[in-house]
Amino acid sequence: MDFTLFLFYAFAAVLLGASVGVIASRNSVHSALFLVLAFFNAAAIWMLLRAEFLAIALILVYVGAVMVLFLFVVMMLDINVERIRQGFWSYLPLGLIVAAILFIEMALVVGGKWAGLDAMPMPAEPAAGYSNTKALAWLMFTDFAYPFELASFVLLVAMIAAVALTLRARAGNKAIDPAAQIAVKASDRLRIVSLPAEKSN
Amino acid sequence: MDFVMPDFRLAAPELFVAAMSLVILMVTSFAKSRARSAAFWLCEFTLLAAVFLTLFSGTVDRAQTFSGMYISDLLGGFLKAVVCLSVAVVLQYGRAYMADRKIDSPEYYILVLFAALGMMVLISASHFVSIYLGLELMSLALYALVAIDRDNPRSTEAGMKYFVLGALASGLLLYGMSMLYGATGSLQIHEISQRIYERSANDMVVVFGLVFVLVGIAFKLGVVPFHMWVPDVYHGAPTAVTLLVSSAPKIAAFAMAFRILVLGLFDLAEQWQMMLMLLAVGSIVLGNLAAVAQTNIKRMLAYSGISHMGFMLLGLMSGVVKGEGGTYAVNAYSSAMFYAVAYVMMTLAAFGMVILLSRAGFEAENVDDFKGLNQRSPWFAGMMLIVMFSMAGIPFFVGFFAKLSVLQAVVAAGNVSGQALYYWLAGLAVLMSAVGAYYYLRVVKVMYFDDAVDTSPLTATLGTRTLLSANALSIAAVGLLPNWLMQICAFTLLH
Amino acid sequence: MSEMEKLYLIVPLAPLVGAIFAGLFGKLIGRTASHVVTILGVAVAFVASVVVFQDVQAGNSYNGSIYTWATAGDLRLELGFLIDKLTVMMMLVVTFVSLMVHIYTIGYMHADPGYQRFFSYISLFTFSMLMLVMSNNFVQLFFGWEAVGLVSYLLIGFWYTKSTAIYANLKAFLVNRVGDFGFLLGIGLIAAHTGSLDYATVFSKLPELSVKTISLFGDSAWPLLTVVCICLFVGAMGKSAQVPLHVWLPDSMEGPTPISALIHAATMVTAGIFMVTRMSPLFEVSETARAFVLVIGATTALFMGFLGIIQNDIKRVVAYSTLSQLGYMTVALGVSAYSAAVFHLMTHAFFKALLFLAAGSVIIGMHHEQDIRRMGGLWKRMPITWITSLIGSLALIGFPFMAGFFSKDSIIEAVAASHTLGAKYAYACVLIGVFVTAFYSFRMYFLVFHGRERFHAAHAEAHDDHGHGAHGGEVPHESPWVVWLPLVLLAVPSVVIGYLAIGPMLFGDWFGASIVVHEGNNALAHLEAHFTSAFGMAIHGFMTLPFALAMAGVATAAYFYLVKPEIPARIATAFGPVYRLLENKYYFDRFNEIVFAAGSRALGKVFWKAGDQAVIDGLLVNGTAKIIGGFAQIIRYFQTGHLYQYAFTIIIGVVVLLAFWGSRG
Repeated sequence: MDFTLFLFYAFAAVLLGASVGVIASRNSVHSALFLVLAFFNAAAIWMLLRAEFLAIALILVYVGAVMVLFLFVVMMLDINVERIRQGFWSYLPLGLIVAAILFIEMALVVGGKWAGLDAMPMPAEPAAGYSNTKALAWLMFTDFAYPFELASFVLLVAMIAAVALTLRARAGNKAIDPAAQIAVKASDRLRIVSLPAEKSN
Repeated sequence: MDFVMPDFRLAAPELFVAAMSLVILMVTSFAKSRARSAAFWLCEFTLLAAVFLTLFSGTVDRAQTFSGMYISDLLGGFLKAVVCLSVAVVLQYGRAYMADRKIDSPEYYILVLFAALGMMVLISASHFVSIYLGLELMSLALYALVAIDRDNPRSTEAGMKYFVLGALASGLLLYGMSMLYGATGSLQIHEISQRIYERSANDMVVVFGLVFVLVGIAFKLGVVPFHMWVPDVYHGAPTAVTLLVSSAPKIAAFAMAFRILVLGLFDLAEQWQMMLMLLAVGSIVLGNLAAVAQTNIKRMLAYSGISHMGFMLLGLMSGVVKGEGGTYAVNAYSSAMFYAVAYVMMTLAAFGMVILLSRAGFEAENVDDFKGLNQRSPWFAGMMLIVMFSMAGIPFFVGFFAKLSVLQAVVAAGNVSGQALYYWLAGLAVLMSAVGAYYYLRVVKVMYFDDAVDTSPLTATLGTRTLLSANALSIAAVGLLPNWLMQICAFTLLH
Repeated sequence: MSEMEKLYLIVPLAPLVGAIFAGLFGKLIGRTASHVVTILGVAVAFVASVVVFQDVQAGNSYNGSIYTWATAGDLRLELGFLIDKLTVMMMLVVTFVSLMVHIYTIGYMHADPGYQRFFSYISLFTFSMLMLVMSNNFVQLFFGWEAVGLVSYLLIGFWYTKSTAIYANLKAFLVNRVGDFGFLLGIGLIAAHTGSLDYATVFSKLPELSVKTISLFGDSAWPLLTVVCICLFVGAMGKSAQVPLHVWLPDSMEGPTPISALIHAATMVTAGIFMVTRMSPLFEVSETARAFVLVIGATTALFMGFLGIIQNDIKRVVAYSTLSQLGYMTVALGVSAYSAAVFHLMTHAFFKALLFLAAGSVIIGMHHEQDIRRMGGLWKRMPITWITSLIGSLALIGFPFMAGFFSKDSIIEAVAASHTLGAKYAYACVLIGVFVTAFYSFRMYFLVFHGRERFHAAHAEAHDDHGHGAHGGEVPHESPWVVWLPLVLLAVPSVVIGYLAIGPMLFGDWFGASIVVHEGNNALAHLEAHFTSAFGMAIHGFMTLPFALAMAGVATAAYFYLVKPEIPARIATAFGPVYRLLENKYYFDRFNEIVFAAGSRALGKVFWKAGDQAVIDGLLVNGTAKIIGGFAQIIRYFQTGHLYQYAFTIIIGVVVLLAFWGSRG
């Protein structure tokens, strides 16, 4: 067992443990932190696979940005964990049975001869000076330019959706509209009315 | 690395719609007071121009671009035209409805357009990555649209459910795709097909992946047991959005199913055929039976949609017998495609009628709201009659021929294979159609034989009235002359 | 689509467009526009038919499908046209008579509130009839067949507030169902044994068909084609009103007179004759079927003629004469003289339409009085109607040089020359029929146009019933030009068409391959040997037995109704039983009412009580409804609205699919 393999098993074990922690911990802040741990270990495993860029991206994007935001949200919301877990125990037996079946079925496939190491040989050793990041970038802007652009549209939709679903103009908003102020005409402000002179009789 | 510059002309419709969606986004941001009508007209223009583009810019022969991610063929062209056209119809039907409820923000129009773009991408995708992204683009826009009536708890709840379940289904789909990638080393549909063929082994990993991919497809089609979202979403969403969710995405999902299953995983046909059969039977039985108990017409149409999708799958699965395709295969696939197109025509008209009866502050959601429609508007009672008869599969409306061609395909598969199972399937489908006729005819019954509870006049605009009438009449017209549409379906599939 | 194909399409579609306009938008566009648009449609169809006729005369013909409506396995249901001489002759007759009737209707129906509806119906009829005759396959034939039946039903009951009209149209509908059932069986047999519904394909499979047999009752082997032909002919019996399915036609006179002329005399009722002619290749194979046809036709020709003698309603007299003449055509079919049958069909269409329209003109003139006993001496009041009626009657009785002479004499001669089973019986029937025809035709003619003017007394009574404007003391007067113009236009072919057409149509092989006659059956060949020219035949006609019989009929009628009007009544009392038999129309109606109508009502009651109420409603409908309802409630229970349950369902779905297929892998 060489050192790399040892590292892999170590990271994988922590990753699995952290994943269990995410769903098992009672405190949602803890869950979020477990998720951060899981990301770290996943990044480390990618690192072992020489996917340096992906590993860094995972940490920067997910740990650095997404999870931090997530933590904020979790902390700001007052979530009653116990209420959410109502009915947990009554559903547990059925859930466990289904999970067990699913596990066995998947084990049958993944544990079988087709998913073994010999079925998926290691990729060839890259040449010296090979840059993982550059290769990724090359692919992303050539062959995968179409999905890359599509992904940007997906994000755009997410943005629009978020705005459409949450932004609301508050009633009584005192903010001024500069365009309306500039476009104003004298006649809008002053109205001259002619009143007939009152006749006394 | 060799890289071929993609041929952008092949993807002209998608590029056009994408560009226009950005333009509309900008225009509506600056056109203050007239943003809504600008968004509406620009979206309509874009969609109709896209119909034109798909029909007249496409190549007759199959061609790929974007490194095999995008495929341009007649099948895609025709289906995209149907999608764009139906979305354009959706916008017109829904305009007044959304305006009455003050939820016709420009974002609504833009999201609809993005959903249409997602469907177009999905229809023309020949690579798992583009399939997935197209699917997500479409789904994400739909999730937001379902929840767009954000002050209505039912709408937001439906949006939430749809989103969570959709995310789950997407996860399963991705999982399946990664399995297939692991087994074949490719994400490109034709390459996958090639690799599976070369290995010629009955590979469990591939079957494993197939199951999960199929789940993703089944979820989008809304077939049993992946249908649970359908009634809640159809019911909770504003009717104009229900109209969208129930129509064009089914076409896109059909294209996705056809490309992945028939073109990509044909060597696993023996497996997916049986799975589809299971899903189809479940959908036809459950959809029809559950619809009987509904009093809400949106839920009723939701369950009827489930059973219709089951029928469509029945056609799709009949194209293969014992893992072999034959000359009858084209008939089977074209019957499924015909069914999908016919269903879209019918569902548009049906939900269009629901919208027609709604007005500001009133949702015509219950079957009882159709009571005495004949007294209020004999013309539209007649139109609804056409739609309901067609959905029930009564000759000679398009729904009848759709059902007939699917049943013919099933029986043909039975004849070729000599398995009695197919005949039983056909028998069951007919039986369940008879059950289905009950709830469709109930609508007709209340329209003609009950007294109107609500006697207020219909408020729809002339444009909507005309379009809805044309829509319903086209159901009758295609029912009288179904052959050209059948031939289009068969012709585009053959190429 | 070629130019000619477009033209073929125009022929039926032009009346259809007219019908749609007048029918759907009649209220909108008004009365004048309605009749303009429908007349225009039919006129276009007529002109197009003339062009097609010229094209066909030039030797062209067409057989092809325009549109495939649906395919069921290998069976294709198509719309298609078969344009040959037989078709084009029918097209001309249909469009011409229809055009005349359209014009006539302007005058006849001018005061009717259903004016637009009427025009829409008769245009729709023209469309249906054209689709029928132009068809190249059985499906379209059947479509046209049913469509003309439908329009006939609608038109008989046109005055739908009149209970007799409703009774009559229901009767027509039901009797035609019986015929159509046979027709459909015949078509079904053809489809089952040839796998095709296309005429040409079916005919091309004749050699193999003619040796096939099927067992009907037990093990008896029947030649397939005999069964097919008899089934098809049963259809023709319904539509062309042959005994015993003739009972609807006299009652159909409840409809307005123009449609009696168009539908129940000139065109629709001849559809059966046309169909059998079109199927001549099939009928030629089966002698049994032809003998059946012959006997039925002969019986109709003679015995329906008898009934015409005692009728007093002017339209019913003409109706029974139509039945009798249809019998003559059927007789011609039975002796394989198909061309004579269609020839008589054509001449009959003209003179019978003329007679009906003239009768209508008389009815207008008499202010809706239809009883011929209350007419008389009209010749000086309505000169045009009088002359044209005389022409029509002479044509009907087969006076030499008139159109009817050539066609009827040919049929009689063909029967004489035929060796088909039953030909002797048929010959006797058609010969006596000549006398009977002449007698009732001129009985009506004399009663209406000559003798004493009996309408003065009639008017006093009729006034209460009709109240049709203020014309109590008025005398009958000639009808407006829109009414008499069609009479004149129809009188022309009633005189000349036989003289002109007999040469080519009967003996000149004009029909070519449209009609197939086997060598041994060709009864007309005998005539052809003696035929020199139409003129010669007409001159010779003065010396034949039929002419003598016809003259005897005329003379008897003149004696009975002009010279000694009291004789008929005395005969009636002297031959009481016979008279009652005729008066009750051989008790056909009574028989049908007691046996079929009451029987089926009783049967229906049994099915209703036992089948519908007990089994279907009680057990199946409500039973299944309960089961389904229960099931639906269960499903509803599962649709809880809880997200995690939904997600769980998805996972269960995955597990099921995996379990199912993981095991197979």
